Amino acid sequence: MTGTSAFFLRREDLVPLLEELAETLEVVAPVLVEGEAAFATWRGGALALDCENPLASPMEFFLPKKEVLFRYVQYSGRYTFSEDPPRARLIFGMRPCDLQALKVIDGIFGADLPDLPYAGRRRSTIIVALNCTSPGEGCFCRSMGSGPGAEGGYDLLLTDLGRGYLVEPGSPAGVYILRAHQRHFEEADPEDLREKERLLALAGEEIIKRGPSLNPEKIREAIDGVDWEEAGRRCLACGGCSLVCPVCHCFSVLDQGVPDGERLRCRDTCILSGFSRMTSGANPRPALGERLRHWYLDKFVYIPEKTGLFGCVGCGRCSRVCLGEVDRWSLFKEAAE
Amino acid sequence: MEKIATICVYCGCGCGLFLHVEDGRIVGASPSPAHPVSRGRLCVKGWLAADFVHHPDRLKTPLVRKGGRMVRGSWDEVLSLTARRFKEIREESGPDALAVLTSAKGTNEENYLLAKLARAALKTNNVDHVARLCHAPSVAGLGFALGSGGMTNPIRSLLSSGAILVTGSNTTEQHPLVAAHILEAQSRGATLIVVDPRRTQMAQLADIHLAPRLGTDVSWTNGILNLIIDLGLVDEDFIIKRTEGFSALKDLVVQYTPVEVERITGIPSGDLEKAAVAFGEADRAAVVYAMGTTQHSCGTDNVLALANLVLATGNVGRDGTGIYPLRGHQNVQGACDMGALPSVYPGYQKVEDPAARERMEAAWGTDLPAEPGLTAVEMMEAAEEGRLKGVYISGENPMISYPDRDQVMRALSSLEFLAVADIFPTETTALADVVLPVASFAEKDGTFTSTERRVQRVRRAASPPGEARPEVEVAADLLRRLGVDADYASPEEVMAEISSVTPSYGGISYQRLGISGLSWPCPSRDHPGTEILHQGSFPIGRGRFSAVEQQELAEDLDYPLLLTTGRSLFHFHTGTMTRRTHLLDRERPKAAVDINPADAAALGVRSGTMVVVESATGSLEIEARLTEEVPVGTVYIPFHFAEAPANQLTARTLDPTSKIPGLKRTPVRIRRAE
Repeated sequence: MTGTSAFFLRREDLVPLLEELAETLEVVAPVLVEGEAAFATWRGGALALDCENPLASPMEFFLPKKEVLFRYVQYSGRYTFSEDPPRARLIFGMRPCDLQALKVIDGIFGADLPDLPYAGRRRSTIIVALNCTSPGEGCFCRSMGSGPGAEGGYDLLLTDLGRGYLVEPGSPAGVYILRAHQRHFEEADPEDLREKERLLALAGEEIIKRGPSLNPEKIREAIDGVDWEEAGRRCLACGGCSLVCPVCHCFSVLDQGVPDGERLRCRDTCILSGFSRMTSGANPRPALGERLRHWYLDKFVYIPEKTGLFGCVGCGRCSRVCLGEVDRWSLFKEAAE
Repeated sequence: MEKIATICVYCGCGCGLFLHVEDGRIVGASPSPAHPVSRGRLCVKGWLAADFVHHPDRLKTPLVRKGGRMVRGSWDEVLSLTARRFKEIREESGPDALAVLTSAKGTNEENYLLAKLARAALKTNNVDHVARLCHAPSVAGLGFALGSGGMTNPIRSLLSSGAILVTGSNTTEQHPLVAAHILEAQSRGATLIVVDPRRTQMAQLADIHLAPRLGTDVSWTNGILNLIIDLGLVDEDFIIKRTEGFSALKDLVVQYTPVEVERITGIPSGDLEKAAVAFGEADRAAVVYAMGTTQHSCGTDNVLALANLVLATGNVGRDGTGIYPLRGHQNVQGACDMGALPSVYPGYQKVEDPAARERMEAAWGTDLPAEPGLTAVEMMEAAEEGRLKGVYISGENPMISYPDRDQVMRALSSLEFLAVADIFPTETTALADVVLPVASFAEKDGTFTSTERRVQRVRRAASPPGEARPEVEVAADLLRRLGVDADYASPEEVMAEISSVTPSYGGISYQRLGISGLSWPCPSRDHPGTEILHQGSFPIGRGRFSAVEQQELAEDLDYPLLLTTGRSLFHFHTGTMTRRTHLLDRERPKAAVDINPADAAALGVRSGTMVVVESATGSLEIEARLTEEVPVGTVYIPFHFAEAPANQLTARTLDPTSKIPGLKRTPVRIRRAE
């Protein structure tokens, strides 16, 4: 293997490659569950790579919806604690939008005082990303600058060229995989790289054609002009937008079990009133409309202030799950370019 | 991580979801995008559907009462004790001293076997479940009017409606996925009419909101029908070709003039007219209702009046039309279908019909009792009077969910033997002689039948905790101990037996249940299922009108306020699951009585004041919450909370036909707590 930075993987070599990787790592990939694509442990079945990005983001492998921080056992008045080590994992088929979400979370959970469980999972996970050459209907990653092509943050990056995949390493771990499994890879033709650029440009145009291209700066400016009271009137408080968002990361911690038990960290959502309600019963954001507004402020003002990145990656999942028929992006019509 | 496709455990919407399973533990849930109801969405309870499954409070070992204390027992010990005590009671006092309450939270397979346990093993028709407290009036009313108590159309049919009348249903909180369909229809141009004394979110979003006094549903329904007749908006062709009894009804409803209706219900006559025009003029109109309609001592009349409305306007048998009784539990429809009712076998074959009984006797290989059994609330009376001595309760918590809590306590305490199967300790397991720990919805295989008659697969995602077992195994074991063959290798084999004895499930098998399930009637293996009922004809031939009149409403000067009860978005029933789901419990951690600020001012009460609510049945102390959501003169308490049980106040006034108690209207008085 020479110093070339791009390789080619034939379609029929993908499964044998994953089988070899699965000997030492848990391989997570989009698989079909009762006919629907979902990220789950790959056990040799068919891959669901031609489907829309699954509704449940692979971010849950970094920020689980529910995790045991540690277990506690009481014996003769003394407590002992135990925790599980992070497992070695390879996530295959992570899309650029979710990869961007990971970068945002790195800026929060990986910042000055890193969150140890997160950092542990981050270190023990290999990411094989997949560029989006056929974006989903509600996607607007292009407007948020997070897709359809990935820019960094992966160990390996694949682009589906039809007859096979263009493979580009993005880290020493990626290069290691290419070396260790080199019989599956051949050097890419310069034409393959041009083909990748052509496909991504097409996908980007497709996204802009399908929906209004939104500009995050304009959304930020439009937030105060939105009729939040009306949006709150229609909101059914399912919390789906924040539970499905790959960037949302708020949690609550609770101890379950006396005298022995577990300290759990669970996904929380600012759409619920209990999230901001204080012990006294006072709530700085008592109305649903105010909580929705806060959600957007977090994505477009607070998170950018903290991380330099927008808290929205344009995956479109919040609109897909909205129970109250609140068309998320029509809220910002005037912001559309 | 595995993702397991299954069905939500809460309301009757029957949403498809994935459980996320890591190392044998359920760590999350997400909606199924391809499922016809959830369509990639869920309500807050759905997103948190399995959060309670690994809670440390789960019952993990069988318990048996010894010397007044509950101690650990083995499965063999508790099952043989249960079988022996049931046999002894049957020998001493006859089979009708025994009863089984099945669970609308259980699978079809479990309900079928428990109903079989009552009939084939214990030899009694004393079998019932919570449907008695929710849609018994629909089974009776719609059964009489249309020939089937089921929802006539699938939920997605609402998307094609031109007008939707929602009554007695807090849809956005209780059936959020149905609400999502209704709101989508409204955004496509449908007129939304909401009839509810409370200003629920649904009422606030409605185009027309009518707020009748509690208990006056027959009046406004007859009033709308009267206006529709006056305006010439009835479907005469449909009435002539497909119905009977219209002239008697027509003669009756003339009395319900807008002025008279306003006097009885308090609905301004102009608003009633607007609603009548919107409903009558729509090419496709639908009626959606729930507990606010049925939980009255005139529940069956309320249902019959609504059925009149859809029949007179020809709104049956087509997409976008129909009548939608929204089922509260995810499998209350299935439990009824499985014959967990005192008067019918699976598929609503009447126990009094000798031909049906002979068929079931042949199928089950034993003789069966001919007289219909006791209904759920009647069981409590019978127990209190000593006529009922042994009861098996599956996953129900009558101590919180039944009317007149003190009486339920006396009834259950006076039993000679009480066996309770559940997933968590409850106020009812506390009274049991044996407690059987069973698997939750996420720990077993089977099927649920949703409110739209959709039979769907439920899949095991994790192992039951400790020694807990799926109840299908418990029921089969008890059947064998009581001398009935029950060698089922899996729930799938139980479904094979169900489809062989239940005509409407004749074509249903696990292999055929894909992501969308199958809607009954599905009589044969090549039948595609039936999403819209009554398309060409009714099972009873012609649809029947009923001339139903407003019932006299008792007023009591000692109890000047009217209490109505219900559920919150964040809790389900007696809270055994949702109060153990951290985010849901945090959202609504305690009970409160909703009082209109005008009433509160008269009582000298503010939000947060502790008040005593008293009725003729009982009293309780509870925090007050001031809100315009309830009208002046009406107060509201959700019934989830054991520490302030709303059913301490409700009475057992039963609807004469369906035996449902009038939970939705109780005269009360309120004073500040000392």
